[in-house]
Amino acid sequence: MSVFSLIIINKAGGLVYQREFQPGLRKLSTNDYLVLAGTFHGVHAITRTITPKLPLTVTAPATTPTTASTPNVTSPSATSTPMPSSAAATSSATAAAAAAAAAAATTTHSFPNPGVPATGLETMETDKFRLTCFQTLTGTKFLLFTDPLMTNIDVIMKKIYELYADFVMKNPFYQLEMPVRCESFDRNLTGWLRGRA
Amino acid sequence: MVVYSFYIFDRHAECIYKRRWLPRPSSVVASKSSRPTSEASAPATAPPAILGQSARTTDDDAKLIFGTVFSLRNMARKLGGEDDNFVTYRTSQYRLHYYETPTNIKFVMLTDIKSPSMRVALQQIYINLYVEYVVKNPLSPAEHPGGVGVNNELFEESLEQFVTRVLS
Repeated sequence: MSVFSLIIINKAGGLVYQREFQPGLRKLSTNDYLVLAGTFHGVHAITRTITPKLPLTVTAPATTPTTASTPNVTSPSATSTPMPSSAAATSSATAAAAAAAAAAATTTHSFPNPGVPATGLETMETDKFRLTCFQTLTGTKFLLFTDPLMTNIDVIMKKIYELYADFVMKNPFYQLEMPVRCESFDRNLTGWLRGRA
Repeated sequence: MVVYSFYIFDRHAECIYKRRWLPRPSSVVASKSSRPTSEASAPATAPPAILGQSARTTDDDAKLIFGTVFSLRNMARKLGGEDDNFVTYRTSQYRLHYYETPTNIKFVMLTDIKSPSMRVALQQIYINLYVEYVVKNPLSPAEHPGGVGVNNELFEESLEQFVTRVLS
């Protein structure tokens, strides 16, 4: 039962906070942590785009040639956006057929968990650690490295977010998207984690 | 448990086998027996950009998946040491399982989020199917330049059976 370290990545993929609580992972240089944060930011975005799309059964036979050849046109974020007018020009069929195909294309796919919006990587496991990623609504990512057998990571993550809101966001001297240098945040974080262990 | 897709990458980062179990609206039967090469050619005729996002083919998906597992594997090695192995990750929609052989052949499987750890299953696919039918086949090439891939009926059939009967 141990929390190895915490990394906070801003919405642009920059590293704003890195702290080790317990030994267990190898120490990296500051530059390596910056690279790791940027890499993870990219991987997180890609893991969302490679979400498997489940085709729904289409009844309209006229649209099947177009829809069958474009299995991946429905992006996770664009399902509700209206069709741009340029898209209709790409189709060689008539405008009506193109519109019908477009309407079918927006509805022929669903995600495995239809009620839940597609997110990027949430947890990752290796032999030696478990990485839990929590993305806030504003795009900040909290990466928590823990023991693979650790449970109740949600509780820890929630508390860390609470401490971040209290001691970083409410700090009048903190500049948004910049590295977090708040002594009280450090102190409260280590104190709370030590109290749990 | 639902298996969405399965990929094999060789040590040159080449996707040598891909198989998707997504039911296609057009012809499920055709995709069932298609080889990886023929499956990849079908969506290549897709129009370049609809809805502001280019339509990705299965080829592109394989590349994205390789990039993802490669980056995560390196991240795991960097933080956990050289003997650490990346095993799996989960999003809100799917779970990706990863197994790498000592010869750097990478097996990747995408399943639903409720599935248990598939590490043993991927290992079994490697030992009982890949080694038996592909590696021990004297006609099968050792390397796969140009993306010909694993083109082996026995392997494909037994993989199909393994996934449909053993895993689900």
